[in-house]
Amino acid sequence: MTNYSYGPLLFFAAIGLGFAAFSVVAGALAGPKRYNRAKADAYECGIQPSPHAEGGGRVPIKYYLTAMLFIVFDIESVFLYPFAVAFDRMGLFALIEMVLFILTVFVAYAYVWRRGGLEWD
Amino acid sequence: MKLGGAESTLFALAAPLSVIGALALLFARKAVHAAMGMALTMVVLGIFYIAQQAEFLGVIQIFVYSGAVMMLFLFVIMLVGVDSSDSLVETIRGQRWAGLLLGLALAALGLATIGKATFPAGTGLDRANSQGNVSGIARLIFGNYVWVFEATSALLITAALGAMMLAHRERLSERPSQADWSRARIKSGRNVAGLPAPGVYARHNAVDTPALLPDGSTSELSISRVLKARGQVATADKELAISQELEGETGDMTRRGNGDDK
Amino acid sequence: MNALASVTDNPVADFSDTPWWLSLIKALMLFVFLLLNTLLVIWFERRVIGRMQQRPGPNRTGPFGLLQTLADGVKLALKEDIVPKNADKLMFWLAPAIAGAMAFVSFAIIPLSNEVWMFGHRTPLQLTDTPVATLLVLAVAGVGVYGIVLAGWSSGSTYPLLGGLRSSAQVISYEIAMGLSLVAVFLYSGSMSTSQVVTSQKSLWHVLPMFFSFIVYVITMVGETNRLPFDLAEGEGELTGGFHTEYSSLKFAMFFLGEYVNMFTVSALATTLFLGGWQAPPGFAALGMNGGWWGLLWFFIKLWMFMFFFVWLRGSLPRVRYDQFMRLGWKVLIPLTLAWVVAVAFMRAANNGFLGNGQISLGFTDIRRSLLLVIAAVIIVVFAAAWAFDVRRSRAEAEKAPRQPEEIDPFAGGHPVPPMPGQRLRESRPALTGARTTTDPEEPRG
Repeated sequence: MTNYSYGPLLFFAAIGLGFAAFSVVAGALAGPKRYNRAKADAYECGIQPSPHAEGGGRVPIKYYLTAMLFIVFDIESVFLYPFAVAFDRMGLFALIEMVLFILTVFVAYAYVWRRGGLEWD
Repeated sequence: MKLGGAESTLFALAAPLSVIGALALLFARKAVHAAMGMALTMVVLGIFYIAQQAEFLGVIQIFVYSGAVMMLFLFVIMLVGVDSSDSLVETIRGQRWAGLLLGLALAALGLATIGKATFPAGTGLDRANSQGNVSGIARLIFGNYVWVFEATSALLITAALGAMMLAHRERLSERPSQADWSRARIKSGRNVAGLPAPGVYARHNAVDTPALLPDGSTSELSISRVLKARGQVATADKELAISQELEGETGDMTRRGNGDDK
Repeated sequence: MNALASVTDNPVADFSDTPWWLSLIKALMLFVFLLLNTLLVIWFERRVIGRMQQRPGPNRTGPFGLLQTLADGVKLALKEDIVPKNADKLMFWLAPAIAGAMAFVSFAIIPLSNEVWMFGHRTPLQLTDTPVATLLVLAVAGVGVYGIVLAGWSSGSTYPLLGGLRSSAQVISYEIAMGLSLVAVFLYSGSMSTSQVVTSQKSLWHVLPMFFSFIVYVITMVGETNRLPFDLAEGEGELTGGFHTEYSSLKFAMFFLGEYVNMFTVSALATTLFLGGWQAPPGFAALGMNGGWWGLLWFFIKLWMFMFFFVWLRGSLPRVRYDQFMRLGWKVLIPLTLAWVVAVAFMRAANNGFLGNGQISLGFTDIRRSLLLVIAAVIIVVFAAAWAFDVRRSRAEAEKAPRQPEEIDPFAGGHPVPPMPGQRLRESRPALTGARTTTDPEEPRG
């Protein structure tokens, strides 16, 4: 039988969420309301706000690459965790398999680096 | 199978949340709202896994799917800039009806199968978790499924390759560094100290007001090209007039003759 | 070999004597603890930075200005809550709630001390612990990023959108290096549960054998919390306020609170994973000042050391350029941490006897032969890599440097220019003598 539980975690999350939701709503209720057309405009250092596309506009495609590489390494580290935790109970075979895995993923990393996918400008 | 008291309470609370998330995915008008609905479903799924004592899996579900994959979705949605103003007219005739029909058929099939299924008590859970849940997973990864695990690395290579093919723009020449820019500026001998900053006046502190040069004229260089093209450049006339008026009041004799001698 | 001694990777903290109502009380206390600490740290930061910049900092509200943060909070609550016209209302409201709420969750798994008596029950001074506790922190941080992205996107304005994107790209990039730096800790402690990680540091804190992981973790934790010198999301000169430019009133306060609570969370995790958590510093344990309520004191001291470090960084370092920051994350931290993980795994394998059992006597202690070999191999690889790096670098520099002509005309550009080392002066024209007698341009100015 386990001697721990996730209950307190959920409860703590509920406190945090409740507090955040309460604050956000309370802030809207407590403050004054003085409508002003300029105030509701986007803030751009005093100049006329530039037209902003409906739906948030478009973002540079560079971020797609970052997110994809993030997933790749995320999954790599996800495999590393159980390996690290159970390593003492497993032995040499797991180590060899893990080194192979890391090397294979490293091929992808080296390729991306070489092609300049890690450069930002 | 019987659920424990705490588990059934959790299920009763969380299951509607996951359904709401799934429905938001289907019916939300804005793509970002749909993606957030999906993220909610993913998180709740992770909580369900944990409730079933697949703790590592549950946390990974939140870590990878909600944290990484949905982030990618969100970026892609923002990238494409889809929103409610886009046309939702179906291009293939009868698609909607066919989709509805097939969906209903799938639902009927699923209900029929699940309805017939029986749920005996789970076996082997304690043995699988005897060394702890994470070690149990490790034993499986480096035991029965070691080939699948190694194949995953090939899959990751494919993912990185695909992303590079889709999203990477090859740079044809070397990128000029900050030092290169500075060197080029000095070599050309123009604007060595950088372009002048736009005007900063007490009344109007903004980038759309050109800087005033010592002779009272305005500096074209201090204004962004974009603002000029949009026709949003403010003039400094008013500020100039005020400053000259003030100077006149204080008896400053250095004023120039551009329009202030009455 | 603590890790070998424990049979499972489950938490060693025992919560079986903790009734549910006690968990509720502990959760509320932890929440209040965090809020008070946040109030305190904002005052602390402003005072310390004030001292660093030779000014007093806030000192008017309450004793030593201690109530300044509270006053600011009340002021924020009474300010108008502006929702921009272009904003996506639902997400604009949701984003600060996510950012504020997610910041709190992770702290639940931090052990503030081991078991204490509380209301007639013996319970660990920790809200809860699980076999995947540390991973949970990373998962929650991943969900917290939504607060940033959504805030940027929903504001319907350019600066927030750019700031939000930048900030989220920054957080996810550094999350990888952070996750990888933790792997070495798990290798040594054989568990991801925080209580077991702390227990495994009984004899030796992880910061010593895993100094490199510690350094990487400290760098990434600054990047992860968007703090100076990595606060690129709100580079005022370029993006005004970053993703929270359009936020006001308590919605803005939620982002602010989230940032500070996140600082506490990553600092607490660093304390737990590397600095022995609640354990007393060497020497104090023998005095009986270890564990129990004493643990809270040690934990608190270590936690605030990190907070001071955050403030110190902010007071002394300028902001890093974005491309340099991303380069550090992707090209330096990630590959080096991966290499380090492999090296640590090999050392651990040798230590466990996976690579042969031969022992060598070093006089005072016995050591495995394979461990020595692995350490030697690691050192050789490090030196080889450094050498290859140096060779490549000097070659690249030699290629990049402009070729110097053999001869130089000292007056070619109108000014006298001394020759570079190894260059010959061109003496064909009697430049020096001619300049002195006839056409010296400096002559008329006296």
